[in-house]
Amino acid sequence: MEEVKRLAVLLLLTAVIGNAQIKQLSKEEIYTGNCMKCHKQMSLTMQKIFMRYLLKYSSEVSVKSALYDFLKNPNYFTSALRKDQIARYGLKGKTTLTDTQLRKAIDTYWEKYKVFGKLK
Amino acid sequence: MSASKSRATNLHKAERKTLISFLSLYSFFSIILLAISGYLYYSLQKDLMLEGQTNKLQEDSYKLISRLRYLHEHFDEDHTYPRFPDFRSAIYDSSKKLIFTTLNEESVNLDKRLYTINENIHYVRLLESYYLGAMYIVIEVTDSGQWFRYMKKEVIIYGVVLFVLLLIVGYYLFRLMLSPMRNSLALLDRFIKDTTHELNTPISAILTNIEMIDESKLEPLLQKKIRRIDIASRTISNLYKDLTYAALGNRVSSRDEKVNMYHLLKERIEYFKVISSAKNINCITDLHKDIYLTIDHTKIIRVIDNLLSNAIKYNKRSSFIKVTLRENYFEIEDGGIGISDEAIKSIFDRYARFNKSEGGFGLGLNIVKAIADEYKLEIKYKSKIGKGTKVRIVWKK
Repeated sequence: MEEVKRLAVLLLLTAVIGNAQIKQLSKEEIYTGNCMKCHKQMSLTMQKIFMRYLLKYSSEVSVKSALYDFLKNPNYFTSALRKDQIARYGLKGKTTLTDTQLRKAIDTYWEKYKVFGKLK
Repeated sequence: MSASKSRATNLHKAERKTLISFLSLYSFFSIILLAISGYLYYSLQKDLMLEGQTNKLQEDSYKLISRLRYLHEHFDEDHTYPRFPDFRSAIYDSSKKLIFTTLNEESVNLDKRLYTINENIHYVRLLESYYLGAMYIVIEVTDSGQWFRYMKKEVIIYGVVLFVLLLIVGYYLFRLMLSPMRNSLALLDRFIKDTTHELNTPISAILTNIEMIDESKLEPLLQKKIRRIDIASRTISNLYKDLTYAALGNRVSSRDEKVNMYHLLKERIEYFKVISSAKNINCITDLHKDIYLTIDHTKIIRVIDNLLSNAIKYNKRSSFIKVTLRENYFEIEDGGIGISDEAIKSIFDRYARFNKSEGGFGLGLNIVKAIADEYKLEIKYKSKIGKGTKVRIVWKK
């Protein structure tokens, strides 16, 4: 009886940890699958684009909000890139991601390139 | 045995009290005024010092911005925050979140442009382009505090000088305000002095002439009338002396001498005998001989006369007065009407009278108290309504 109980707890823990890993992976997957797929082929790196947004919007909330607005409705006004950059690389199409997926992707982007904690 | 004196000032007691109150209030407001002025001067000096630093701090901020711009453009290659030997810095994003700092002082006020904090000067500048996401940059330099030390010295010196000047002005202002009142009082004093002086001659004449009359040769009815005149004259004489003392006595210097209290009490009892016998009051004495007190003769007479006069005045008919003299006190007890505990608290107040049916100005006990205070004599007052009063004057051995 005691062994059965232990086994049940073990199974439950495995399920919880497994589920969390799937969730973490899926957040990363959204970003790599939907953003990096195209951007890694571009000479304009994700880092450069991030620094453009940071230069224009400063705080985390503002940067994330600007990115969200652009990805939802990409145009000259919502983009943080310069005109010549837009002319060279063009504007991307509207995102097909859901709001939740988009926010997760933006969060991942912020975490990857943010300045906080990186300066020494 | 002696009594020590405790008064040596030109100012009248009440005037001195008013002067102290006035100067205290005046000093209080002067200090507040000086403190406000000092604070304003300090603020001005600080602003001047900060403004003097502005150009240098602006130059420092340009240096930092230039390095931040470079770092922003090459962030993928370099993450080293720029550091400078002559100043420290910090950067904050638009939500005022700290991005990086090399400041000594952790507490930063991004709403102020220029301020001092714990021996540091902070200069806050807003960026138009947010390099590394920085909207605010803070430049920090160490404040040597030399300006503060110099300013503090100045404030203290000028403050003390001004305060002394204000006090002197206050004192003269007080004298100026008081002069009309002083003049009126002087006029009143002169009037009382002249009037009382004019009273002295007729009273003395009456008393001397009565003393010269041989009562045994008079008819009983005339004898009675003469005695009444004698009593009335002595009463007026006593009042005259009180008035003289109240008007002048407390302002003329005392002539202290060794007074034989035994002889003096005997003499004063004798003087009041005419008045006490009119009320059929029995005068009992229990006086020890050779007891001396160093005091102004006139003043101790005022004390004894007033106490004896009260003992007779507020006594019942056919009652008694007992006068006791010991090494360090004398006591006058009567079997009179007495006085309530409540009234005892204000018996020494000038013009306080507790029995309007009796004559007087209410000066007597006030004079007694003034003389007792002057010579540090203790007055012990015990009274019971309907039973009598006991007053003891105690001096140090």
